[in-house]
Amino acid sequence: MLAGIIVVVIFFGSLYLIFSEKLNRTITALAGSVLTIVVGRIMGFYSEEQAITAIDFNTLGLLLGMMILVAMLEPTGFFQYLAVLAARSSKGNPTRLFILLAAITTILSMFLDNVTTVVLIAPVTLLICEILGIMSMPFLITEALISNIGGVATLVGDPPNVLIASAAPFSFNDFLIHSLPIVLVVWVGVMFLLKYLFRAELDVRPRKAKAVMKLNPAETLNHPATARQLLIVLGAAILFFFVHHFLHVDPSLVALTAAALALVWVRPDINQTLKHVEWSVLVFFGALFVMVGGLEAAGVLDALIGLLEPLASVPPILFGIGMIWVVALLSAVVDNVPITIALIPVIHGLGASGMDVQPLWWALAFGAGFGGTGTIIGSTANVIVANLSERTRHPITPAIWNKRGPWVLLTTCAITSVLYAILYWTF
Amino acid sequence: MTVSTCMKRHVVSIHSSDSIRSAAAIFVKKHIGLLPVVDDKNKVIGVVGLRDLLTLEMPDFIEFIEDVDFVHDFGAVETTRPDAETLDQPVTSILKSVFTVEEDCGLLRAYALMLQHNLHDMPVVNKKGELVGITSRVDIGTKILSLWSSVE
Repeated sequence: MLAGIIVVVIFFGSLYLIFSEKLNRTITALAGSVLTIVVGRIMGFYSEEQAITAIDFNTLGLLLGMMILVAMLEPTGFFQYLAVLAARSSKGNPTRLFILLAAITTILSMFLDNVTTVVLIAPVTLLICEILGIMSMPFLITEALISNIGGVATLVGDPPNVLIASAAPFSFNDFLIHSLPIVLVVWVGVMFLLKYLFRAELDVRPRKAKAVMKLNPAETLNHPATARQLLIVLGAAILFFFVHHFLHVDPSLVALTAAALALVWVRPDINQTLKHVEWSVLVFFGALFVMVGGLEAAGVLDALIGLLEPLASVPPILFGIGMIWVVALLSAVVDNVPITIALIPVIHGLGASGMDVQPLWWALAFGAGFGGTGTIIGSTANVIVANLSERTRHPITPAIWNKRGPWVLLTTCAITSVLYAILYWTF
Repeated sequence: MTVSTCMKRHVVSIHSSDSIRSAAAIFVKKHIGLLPVVDDKNKVIGVVGLRDLLTLEMPDFIEFIEDVDFVHDFGAVETTRPDAETLDQPVTSILKSVFTVEEDCGLLRAYALMLQHNLHDMPVVNKKGELVGITSRVDIGTKILSLWSSVE
């Protein structure tokens, strides 16, 4: 009992520090996890070995593999290439450009980290808008919003999905069957909404529409040969993602194999490549796993499941829809990774008490993914775009965001709730 | 050979309360690269370079895109001027701290300092710290090269 109280205090104390941004999230999680192990050792409920087994190496391996691939693809200029192609095919028409850039961002964010997608697509978007002589703000906000939405569609699109897939467990194709169709409908809905919200900025005639036709996509590729090699490897990895569960191979092995292959084939400066891997994210995930492992070992989760038993009488569809909204609203103001990691054992617990939790996993994925659109701090992609715009003549302020973000959050969750109810029997 | 042998002694300066717009006019009229900014007592409080003014017109994307070779036409940016509000700001809003050399500084040392501090023009002061001239990379560089003629 006492052990349980102490780990709960450590866990919620750490969450408080993370959510209030009083201390860097990785530092907090690392300190919190070490503290959990120390207490566990002293009181005899949690050992180093248990802590190591609590870490979900499938999640870490998948993230690491994809990060290495992206770190290698980044300097090739492939992302600029795609954006320039979009600019040319838009012929300078703002609405067409808006849809094309959003589509590219969505597809990239389905397979790559949302933050990476935005970091690479936003600067070239700024360039295209400036030479056209139109406001870049609608494009930048849309790219951040739409990267959050696109990420929900696939297993590898967003860290919460990676976590959920490993916990549930779901295959890559499960996401294509259950998540992708909902994301597609949400995407169309959100694009109509954004087109309406930005009508004043988009219904303009660019001053220099012809300038984009002089952009040469071929010249944007710094290393065309390397880009080709990496796209072949990435394509092969995606093919293997489709069949990984038939082969009984974990997605992390697919991602790490692809990363290893790409490294052997391209042979980049490995120190440079590894510098671009976000180690702080990996350490943060690992440390959170150790803390949740401590909660489990101290018997907190069993106690929680006892408390949740009355919830089993709530109609399951309502429970799922409620979960989408609660998780989305939470994710709009705080980091969705700790929320997901904390809710995974709860859902496991509900499952153990006899509830059908398959639909709940999807509710968690939708809520955690779509929630990030709500506020300027809702997701790292939003923060990145806001920071970038602060260094331009037209910074995106929280006030500018708040005129659109909450509407996008409401629209995505409303559409998702309806589809969730209709498709409930398929989950 | 010292830097005092290759500096312009007639230095144009601007008062700290003047606007960016009037600074620009002086750059155009005098065809210069660096403008010292002085206070009421004619003391140099900083400098404004041609570069600092041009930054006001540079597009934002320059800061984010390393290699703009593929942008063959800057389009709308090519004809975008800073707005009136920006031009009417006092010149102190874009003031840079001043780096000077004393007039008895050797030519090669002066040139090396300009390279290291990434300066194209540099004010020259006397022992008392008073502004006595202004020199440029071209002034110093050509002076150094002129000494090569004596090499047998």
